[in-house]
Amino acid sequence: MGLVRRKPEPEAEHPKPSVEQLDDPDPEHRRQAALGLEGVAEAVPALLDRVAAEREPQVRDAMLTTLAAVDSPAVAEALAGHLASDDAALRTAVAEALATMPVSVPAIMPGLLTDPDHRVRVMTAMILADLPHPASLMWLSDMIRDDPHPNVVAAAIDALLPSAGPQHAELLRGAARRFPDDPFLRFTVDAALR
Amino acid sequence: MTRATSPGPGLGQADFEKFREYFYKRTGIQFAGSKRYFVDKRIDACIRGAGFDSFLTWFAALRLSDQPDLLQDVINQLTINETYFLREDYQFDSMIKTVLPEVLAARGGAARIDGPVKILSLPCSTGEEPYSIALRLLEEWDQIDTVDVEIHGADIDSAVLDQARHGSYGERSLQRVPKRWVTKYFAPVGAGRFQLDAEIRDVVTLHQMNVCDTAAMRRFREFDVVFCRNVLIYFDELSSRRAAENLYGAMRPGGYLFLGHSESMSRISPIFTPTRLPEGIVYQRPNTGAK
Repeated sequence: MGLVRRKPEPEAEHPKPSVEQLDDPDPEHRRQAALGLEGVAEAVPALLDRVAAEREPQVRDAMLTTLAAVDSPAVAEALAGHLASDDAALRTAVAEALATMPVSVPAIMPGLLTDPDHRVRVMTAMILADLPHPASLMWLSDMIRDDPHPNVVAAAIDALLPSAGPQHAELLRGAARRFPDDPFLRFTVDAALR
Repeated sequence: MTRATSPGPGLGQADFEKFREYFYKRTGIQFAGSKRYFVDKRIDACIRGAGFDSFLTWFAALRLSDQPDLLQDVINQLTINETYFLREDYQFDSMIKTVLPEVLAARGGAARIDGPVKILSLPCSTGEEPYSIALRLLEEWDQIDTVDVEIHGADIDSAVLDQARHGSYGERSLQRVPKRWVTKYFAPVGAGRFQLDAEIRDVVTLHQMNVCDTAAMRRFREFDVVFCRNVLIYFDELSSRRAAENLYGAMRPGGYLFLGHSESMSRISPIFTPTRLPEGIVYQRPNTGAK
């Protein structure tokens, strides 16, 4: 007993993961397959098909990690379709993945910012909070200044705050003025300006 | 290839961008523009060291030739390896006081545990972290004579792994090690340096590994405790997410992950469960879900 050295063992064979393994009954096999399919273009449709159906959050996150690495407009568009899902965990997981796709997400941003569903626009603010793109602050400012729904404006203020400076004070006051009867928004702005 | 003359002071902006993108694709590590001076100096050293006369010829050889040493050399130059024994040792306190007892309990108790307790240090740099773990366990864990423990260290940099295998350290590296431990476990080798006992070096298994390389990381399985400190901060969002996924796959369900004190998994990936221990936050691979 005590500290022991690992016994030498033959290198285990790890066959290349296949699309079929995405349907393996063992979730860890599905998770490993999803990660191992990074860079396999033919696997993208199968991964996209399974994002909403996968019940294990860790497997779904692995699928999203692999899809985010593709960072193409088609993948971004397909993932953005889940931002309106009734499944809150799926919406959040997809938003987190989209926030790691700075190449393709800007192309779909105009559509997200004007989506008729305000819940999609709230998720868009979440994406912009983490999206490493020079226009992220500008898009958040646009939302705060123009969006007609107070929840979207509050989400955009939350997302802007870590990067906000004195130059944003008037923007925030303007948001509070646009929704004088919304106590939550007023509280958010007051807290931000403090 | 011609002998080096002078590659010139620094890279042009376009060259820097090309290199930065290439290095990111190969390692997952991305350098901000603010690191420009640091990157320039080290690339310059690589170009000179390999005998090239310009960035362009060196970069072409790096990408297109069959000289893997060129890539390894630039990885070694650009990864940051400064560490010392017992760094952020409140996490080792946590491992001994709280985490290992929990691990033993979850695995049926010290008397009935099946297989060794496995601990991974990644990146392990020149060995200070995995050897610190070994010393703390030998000196302070009351179950060390009852339970088998495997300690593994891994790093992307082959040169630091060679130094770790040699296990020779200067005063700065050993500053936090109690004198009694130095006398007991180290031998002076001249020039103010001390070499760790071969017996301890031998029980730490060292691996060359890129934490972002999913296929390679599949070699790591069933770790009970992982230390992955102060490395994810160097990755961009997507690479740190992939690294987190790979660490998850390397751990036993219920296993514990220690990050650096300024790092937070909540900004990287939701797949781990944060657990507050008396000594700070640790992240656990959930017991449920993908096993």
